[in-house]
Amino acid sequence: MLSWPALLRRLAQSVFVVAATYVLVYFVLFLLPGDPIQSRIDNPLNPIPEDQAQAILAYYHLDAPALEQFRLAVVRAVQGDFGYSLTSGRPVADLMAQGIGQTVTLASIALVFAVALALAVALAAVYAPLRSIRSFFRTLPVVMTSTPGFLVGLLLLQIFAYQLGWFSSIRDEGFKSLILPAVALAIGVNAPIAQVLIQGLDRSAKEPFVTVLRAGGVSERSIATRHVLKNASIPAITLIGLTVGELLAGSVIAETIFSRTGLGFMTEQAVRAQDGPMVLAVVMFVAIVFTLVNLATDLVYPLIDRRISLTNASAARSSARQSTSGKSSESTEQSDQSRKVVAA
Amino acid sequence: MARYTRRVAGAAIAALLAVGLGACAPAQPGAGSQEKEGGSIVYLDAELSSNTQLQSSGTWQDSAYVQNITDRLIYRDPETGEFEPWIAEDWTISDDGLVYEFVIRDGVTYSDGTPLDVASVKRNLEWQANGDADKGIPANNWFPTIVSIDADEATRTVTVTLDQPYAPFLAVLSFWRTSLVADATIDASLEAQSQISGLIGSGPFYVKSETYGEEIVLAKREGYDWPHPGSEHTGEAYLDEIVIIPVTEDSVRLGTLKSGEADLLRYVQPSEEQPLEDAGFQVLGLQGAGNANIWDVRQQAPFLDELDVRKALQVGIDREQIVDDLYTDRWNAATSIVSPTAFGYVDLSAKLGYDPDEANRLLDEAGFTGRDADGYRTRDGETLRILTFVDVFDSTSKPLFQLIQWQLKQIGVKLDIDETDYANYSNALKDPNVGVRRNGWPEADAWVRQRVNYSFTGSNAWFFSEADPKLEELYDSQLHATTPEQRAEILAELQEYVVDQAYALPIIDDTQVFVLQPHLHGFSWSAEARPYFYDVWTEKK
Repeated sequence: MLSWPALLRRLAQSVFVVAATYVLVYFVLFLLPGDPIQSRIDNPLNPIPEDQAQAILAYYHLDAPALEQFRLAVVRAVQGDFGYSLTSGRPVADLMAQGIGQTVTLASIALVFAVALALAVALAAVYAPLRSIRSFFRTLPVVMTSTPGFLVGLLLLQIFAYQLGWFSSIRDEGFKSLILPAVALAIGVNAPIAQVLIQGLDRSAKEPFVTVLRAGGVSERSIATRHVLKNASIPAITLIGLTVGELLAGSVIAETIFSRTGLGFMTEQAVRAQDGPMVLAVVMFVAIVFTLVNLATDLVYPLIDRRISLTNASAARSSARQSTSGKSSESTEQSDQSRKVVAA
Repeated sequence: MARYTRRVAGAAIAALLAVGLGACAPAQPGAGSQEKEGGSIVYLDAELSSNTQLQSSGTWQDSAYVQNITDRLIYRDPETGEFEPWIAEDWTISDDGLVYEFVIRDGVTYSDGTPLDVASVKRNLEWQANGDADKGIPANNWFPTIVSIDADEATRTVTVTLDQPYAPFLAVLSFWRTSLVADATIDASLEAQSQISGLIGSGPFYVKSETYGEEIVLAKREGYDWPHPGSEHTGEAYLDEIVIIPVTEDSVRLGTLKSGEADLLRYVQPSEEQPLEDAGFQVLGLQGAGNANIWDVRQQAPFLDELDVRKALQVGIDREQIVDDLYTDRWNAATSIVSPTAFGYVDLSAKLGYDPDEANRLLDEAGFTGRDADGYRTRDGETLRILTFVDVFDSTSKPLFQLIQWQLKQIGVKLDIDETDYANYSNALKDPNVGVRRNGWPEADAWVRQRVNYSFTGSNAWFFSEADPKLEELYDSQLHATTPEQRAEILAELQEYVVDQAYALPIIDDTQVFVLQPHLHGFSWSAEARPYFYDVWTEKK
């Protein structure tokens, strides 16, 4: 159950993780050789002589010692000033707002698609009438996992944009422009969810409580949709949390192919040019999202199953995560807490 | 800068799509209106606009946009190389080459309504010459040292006095980097100038809007009436709008053009050129004046301080095979260290012919007579090995380097090709073991750039451990020559010297490829191969 001290400790932990990430990423970026300013100075198309280069370095405070630069960055960050992109000269905050806005919309739709797809695949894999259909749907997640995202994206463009002309491959047409990239993303990320659901459904269907329900005259449909599915949902919820991360990662490719300027695109641009302030902002955003997702799952577990307390929620989460990374169904032992949630 | 390395789709995917796209043919020419005015086009660039701050930028895409929203004092004819009046309607140069007088055209304004008058020209030239250190804006490193700039309102004259003669000055003034901008731009912060919407020029188009990474919309400047003398028409531009969309993914850019959603694109792989032409598209390979694509040979790298080794490389590279096997007839082998339209160019192809026998003889003479297990030449047990990095600024460079690697293997020289990403490229090249490095692009004046790059007191990009006095003397004297004849004579000697010494290995002439829908007309370009949209009109509309 939730207790205030445990909750506060958990929150403090999250804040610490974010702060530590900032320091770590800042200094890793600092230690990396090369940056856009040095690249500009050394650019073979327009090399800038030493004295002029000094003025540029001074302008960006790149001539100051590392700790001084760090102090400046922290003071600014605390004031809400995340600086300017070193490559495009735009405020990092503006670029992040543009990227996050685009990606959150795309990822949300993709997540809905992914969950719907996973659910359909899992139910078909377990309950479809013919054995051949069931085994087809059992292998489908593996096929989808192993299909490269860019291939799916290019094929979708090929069919629906170039051949049929239903979508623009380059222009932003509002919601319509989100469909193809969201489908491409959903195909990439739904597979683990589907697999965990299939395993959960398999296992739950064999649980004693199903026999009890069946004996009690509850219909098969009701057992499947209300009881077994709910029972199988805890690892799936964990996975949806992890999927958020995958969606962020997958958006790099989806956004490149579909010419969208979301966070994936911003990340790709920033990393390619080692645009320090942008890379820092992107990494911090991702770190904060992950921390929040973990925090949220920890807080949600006890609500689904009262036997899970806040302190052992993390254990449940990591155990569920291990189960999803295991390839064989034998490795999907669930921790005691996340098992056997019998519907009331 | 041509292209960065491709990131997502492999060649196999591109090929797959190309097959699938065969069915989409472009609209037949002559189908649309012959009315020239009006309409909007969609231009797919291969890169994002990254930085339009004039003195610090240098990318292909940015220079192409800048070119269309600004004007320059002087126009340079891309075919003849002649300088012609533009915003400076007339000019005189004193006999000693120190005093330039420019008469500024009357009635020109920037797109924010402020006048492009003598005061503005003076301010632009001072800003270019000195930069703005407080804002982190460097000087235009092509500029000469200037003693004074005076503006006379009454005679509309700007007088520039130099401390010594500077032969490339007119070329520099015709260069996109010396574009004239309004006070609002000069006063703005570095960050504002770095964005194209912060660049206020007097050109035929202005920046109507920009959404970062998505599109830049250039709109026709109402009342524009001062096109450069190479233009086909006068008055306002024909097009109402140019929508520039960066599409970094090669196959998406091509697919979008083929599906008819776009009107032109920059950059396709050489292997795509012929199929596109067969399908009815216009495929243009633009070669601007400037430096050829050369390999800088770095003296401090192992073995490369030896003349015989360098000369063996010079004749051990088969340039014709490179063009035949990897490129198309829109590309050509380099015939000097500069391109044929560069000032002072001399054809040195006789010295650059493929001669493996001579290469082998030179290497034998240099003592590389042993062979290692892989068949490479050795001397005192040491393999003749040269290190290079794939050029991140040119997406065709990897196959190019690999072919040269194979060619050099034929004469027993081992070329190791390393790879790094865009961000680390300049840093990776600081390694003194890197022996050759690709360099060279179209420029307003190839020789200013070469002197900046190669002189011992400049960037010393050939890594001399001590100055080569003859080379320094040639670079200096051409710069301060007072007549074109005198300069051309020095440059001929300079080119021969560099090729004979094999300080640089010319490879190919830089080519920028544009693909246009057949309904597009009037596409032209600058002396540095940047596109010019002023005369463009479209049958489609």
